[in-house]
Amino acid sequence: MSGASLATGTTPGTAIAANAAMRERRQALWRAARRVLLPVLTAALALAAWEWGARASGVSAMVLVPPSAVWSVLANSWPILLEHTLVTLREVTAGFLLAAGGGIALGTLLTASTRIRQTIQPLVVFFQLIPKIALAPLFIVWLGVGPSSRLAFVLFIAFFPVAVSTAAGLMSAERNALLLCRSLTATGWQTFHSVRFPYAVPHIFAGLKICATVAMIGQVVGEFVTAQQGLGYIVMFASAAAETALVFAAVTLLCGLGLLLYGVVAVAEWLVLRWFGAPISSSQF
Amino acid sequence: MNAPASAPKATALASPVPAGPQGSVQARPPTPRPDFIKVESARKVYATGRDTVEAVSDVSFSVTRGEFVAILGPSGCGKSTLLMMCAGLESITSGRIGIDSMPMTGPRESIGVMFQDSTLLPWKSVLENILFPVRIMRRPVRDYMDRARSLLAMTGLTGFEHKKPHQLSGGMRQRAAICRALVTDPDILLMDEPFSALDAMTRDEMNEALLGIWDRQPKTALFVTHSIREAVLLADRVLVMTRRPATVVEDLRIPFPRPRDPSIGESEEFNRLVRHLRGLIERGPRGAGAPPAMAATP
Ligand SMILES: Nc1ncnc2c1ncn2[C@@H]1O[C@H](COP(=O)(O)OP(=O)(O)O)[C@@H](O)[C@H]1O
Ligand SMILES: [Mg+2]
Repeated sequence: MSGASLATGTTPGTAIAANAAMRERRQALWRAARRVLLPVLTAALALAAWEWGARASGVSAMVLVPPSAVWSVLANSWPILLEHTLVTLREVTAGFLLAAGGGIALGTLLTASTRIRQTIQPLVVFFQLIPKIALAPLFIVWLGVGPSSRLAFVLFIAFFPVAVSTAAGLMSAERNALLLCRSLTATGWQTFHSVRFPYAVPHIFAGLKICATVAMIGQVVGEFVTAQQGLGYIVMFASAAAETALVFAAVTLLCGLGLLLYGVVAVAEWLVLRWFGAPISSSQF
Repeated sequence: MNAPASAPKATALASPVPAGPQGSVQARPPTPRPDFIKVESARKVYATGRDTVEAVSDVSFSVTRGEFVAILGPSGCGKSTLLMMCAGLESITSGRIGIDSMPMTGPRESIGVMFQDSTLLPWKSVLENILFPVRIMRRPVRDYMDRARSLLAMTGLTGFEHKKPHQLSGGMRQRAAICRALVTDPDILLMDEPFSALDAMTRDEMNEALLGIWDRQPKTALFVTHSIREAVLLADRVLVMTRRPATVVEDLRIPFPRPRDPSIGESEEFNRLVRHLRGLIERGPRGAGAPPAMAATP
């Protein structure tokens, strides 16, 4: 006789639908949680096994360092680690931004005219084939051991992926969309900013993600060879002193930095794609 | 970015979309100026490496203002090439094309082009896609807002203006493309198989929609198709192209008055025209026999 029973009595269909919707939502939530929980649990298990194995095996902590030892290094030496982390972060960010900007600019230049493309394209391909890390020591010869040689090296190693993917993206615009622009008597600039560039955006972000990873590698290699400061320097120094726990601590922080840089790019991509409001991968059309 | 309902009335609109009764059935201009589009011995040879392909060989025809002309022919016979030359998007190897007695030198704002796919920009809303030509031509968008909205209404897209292209069906996307082609009110509309990517039912629907639009807004049009029935249903004249040589072998007048209803497709006269055209395409110009009695073949 209560209102509730009356309501369910009069509209059983609605109640069932609502129940089903709720169940579906719960299932979706569980699926999402599982995607996070499973890898986290696996990592935790691996860490626990590592810890247990390192203690139980009796192998020297210099060789097989338990995670707890890494954690205590992080906890005890954080001021000095933070100092070097900030140096690496500052330099790699500057290098990444320069590489991204330079790469997009070169990629755009590559598609600006056939003549330019014919001139530069083979050189770009050749540059990609150079094992660039092998040239890292040369940068000290050219620019000394300061930050400028590390910056130059990061730029050198990280901006080709962006240039290549930007050029590929700018060439990926639909042929008919370009014909449409021509038929509307669009200027080159109008065609560029209203059709070519938007079509290139997903490609550019793919390039930027590679750029972020490669910039981290370049930064660490730069710190190895210049041996002045930064987490790469810590890794070198601690390895030489056989302070394995410190090496792992620095590597952990490097992972964090890499994740941060990549994450910023991924979030920027998400924001831009949301602003475009549509899946703009060319496969959609 | 909603257009305010209180936006100032469109100021200078060349031909406002007639939502009212005055524009519903427009009589043809009494003395149509002849030769609005004039194609004289147009030829196109593509050179690809060492090969040369004669895509169009010696095509001549002319179209008067307000005429809807279909170009019919098997695929690969040079229809698209001919249309692109008329649009100024493809150079002419030899011969001449004149629009309104001015030689064709390149694309013009007064010529709208439609392709087989809708070519909507996937990141723009339907309304923004339709206003794209207005922005490219640097005209004031607010002057065209009313026109865009009435075109949307005319093509049954009202309510979808803020959707993205991927949220529409193929037919709706093509209708949006028609709106985009018409928004700046071009004098000439060039359409390259605009409905061939659609399924048969949607295609019938689109033909009916296009007939409706033409009843209200007659425009000079070249419409490329390889569907014989579509050509006869829509056009005032049908030009038949063949592959070898890639030229126009027949210029057939379609006598049905406008406004037309798709039901004319069942009439005996319609089917006689279709049979005649099919004969031309299947057996070539010589095997087709005499054209139907009412067909005017210059
Ligand atoms: N850009 C091009 N380069 C070389 N050959 C082309 C080009 N465009 C079209 N052709 C050739 O020209 C001929 C006519 O093509 P097209 O005009 O597209 O025919 P249709 O539109 O009637 O199918 C075909 O043989 C085609 O291969
Ligand atoms: Mg074609």
